[in-house]
Amino acid sequence: MSDDSDDWDADPELRDRLRSADPASSLHPADPAWTARLLEDTMSSPTDTPTEHEVLTESRETGTRRRGPLTWVVAAAAVLLIAGVGIFGLFNHDTQHDAVPAAGGSTTVTRLQAPAPAAYQARCMVPTAPMIAQQEVAFAGTVESISGDVVTLRPTHFYHGSPTDRVQVQAPQAADLQALIQAVHFKQGERYLVSATGGEVTICGFSAPWSQELAGVYAQAFPARH
Amino acid sequence: MDAQTRRDRFEEIAPSLIEPLRRFLARRTDPATADDVFSETLLVCWRRLDELPDEPLPWAYGVARNCLANVQRGVRRQERLAAKIAVVDPPPQAAAGPGAGEGAGDGDLAEALAALRPEEAELLRLWAWEQLSPTEIAAVLEITPNAAGIRLHRAREKLREQLRKIEQPAGHEESRGRRKP
Repeated sequence: MSDDSDDWDADPELRDRLRSADPASSLHPADPAWTARLLEDTMSSPTDTPTEHEVLTESRETGTRRRGPLTWVVAAAAVLLIAGVGIFGLFNHDTQHDAVPAAGGSTTVTRLQAPAPAAYQARCMVPTAPMIAQQEVAFAGTVESISGDVVTLRPTHFYHGSPTDRVQVQAPQAADLQALIQAVHFKQGERYLVSATGGEVTICGFSAPWSQELAGVYAQAFPARH
Repeated sequence: MDAQTRRDRFEEIAPSLIEPLRRFLARRTDPATADDVFSETLLVCWRRLDELPDEPLPWAYGVARNCLANVQRGVRRQERLAAKIAVVDPPPQAAAGPGAGEGAGDGDLAEALAALRPEEAELLRLWAWEQLSPTEIAAVLEITPNAAGIRLHRAREKLREQLRKIEQPAGHEESRGRRKP
C-alpha cells in the first residue's frame, strides 16, 4: 500500500486547492432523528426485492465480519438515539396529556403526539406494508374536531393497537399542530388512515387521507386484525 | 444470515456510511436528488449486505454512483422529451449538468475541471474530496488499482496543464511554468 499513499500525496498543493473548492464543505450533518428514521425505514424494507434503480446483479456470498471499536460506538449511539426517540414519545405521552380534556364520561381515548418539527422536513420512501406493520397503532377514522393544539379523530376501524372511541393527537406547540395538519392534510369531517409508533403520529405518507390504495397497504400490514 | 443478525450488522455499518455518502452526493447533484439517491443507496446497501466488503465505504460510493447515474439517465430522458415539447430553448445555465457549480470561488479551477473529460474530473474528485487512495478509487469505479493509479496520475497532470493555460495566457507560459526535475 506504500504506492497507494505515495500516490495520494503526490501533489498536496493541487489536492488542497481542489479541497478548498469542495461544495460539501458547508454541508451540515444530517438531523439524527431523520437518520434514525431513514435507517429504520431501510431495514423495514424487504431484502429480496430488487430496488427500482438497482443495476448490479445480485450474488449472495457470506460477508466477513469486522467490527472495529468505532463502528460499535457509532452503532450504540444510533441505537440509543432510536430508543431515546421512543422513550421521549412515551414520556410525553404520559406526562403531557393530562391536560387534554376527556371527550366524555365512559369514552376511551388514545392519545398521540405530533412529531417534532424536524420530522416534517424529512423526505420519505413510499410506505409499504412491512413498514406499516411495525407501527404500534394503526386505524382509519374521521376528524371530529381541530381545536387549539389537539386534533380529535373518531376511529372507524383499528388495524392495530387497542381500539378506543376517540383518538386525540396533541401537539406540544400550536405551530407544530399546523405542521401536522399540513403534513397529513387533516380537515374536519374527512376520513384518514393514521398510524403511530412510540406514541407519536408517523407522517411521511404513513398517515394520510383515506385512499383505497393506502387502505390496502394497511390491511396487508395487519392481516390478522382485518 | 437471519433477520436479526442482518439488522445488527447493518446497524453496525450504516452509521459510518451516512455522512460520507451525503457529502459524496452533495458534491455531485442538487439537494433534492441527493436525498433521494441517498435513501436509494442505503436501501441497496441493506439488500446487498452480504456482499459488503471489509472496507464498505468505497463499495458504498460505487453503489451511490450507480444509483445517481440511473436517476440522471432518467432525468436526461425527461429532458429530451421536454426539449421536444419546449417552444424556446432553455437558458444555458438552466441546461448545465450536475456539478456545474463546483469550484465555487475558484473560477479557474472550475474552468480547468470542466475542460477535463468527465471520468478524469471524477477521479480527481474521488482523490481530493473523498480522499481515496487509488486502491479505494478502483473499488468505487470497478477498475484495477493499477489502472486507477495511472489514470489518477494522468488526470492530475491534465488538470495542472489546464490550470496553467487558464492562469497564464499565451505568451507567458515559460515564466511560471512548473519545472520538471
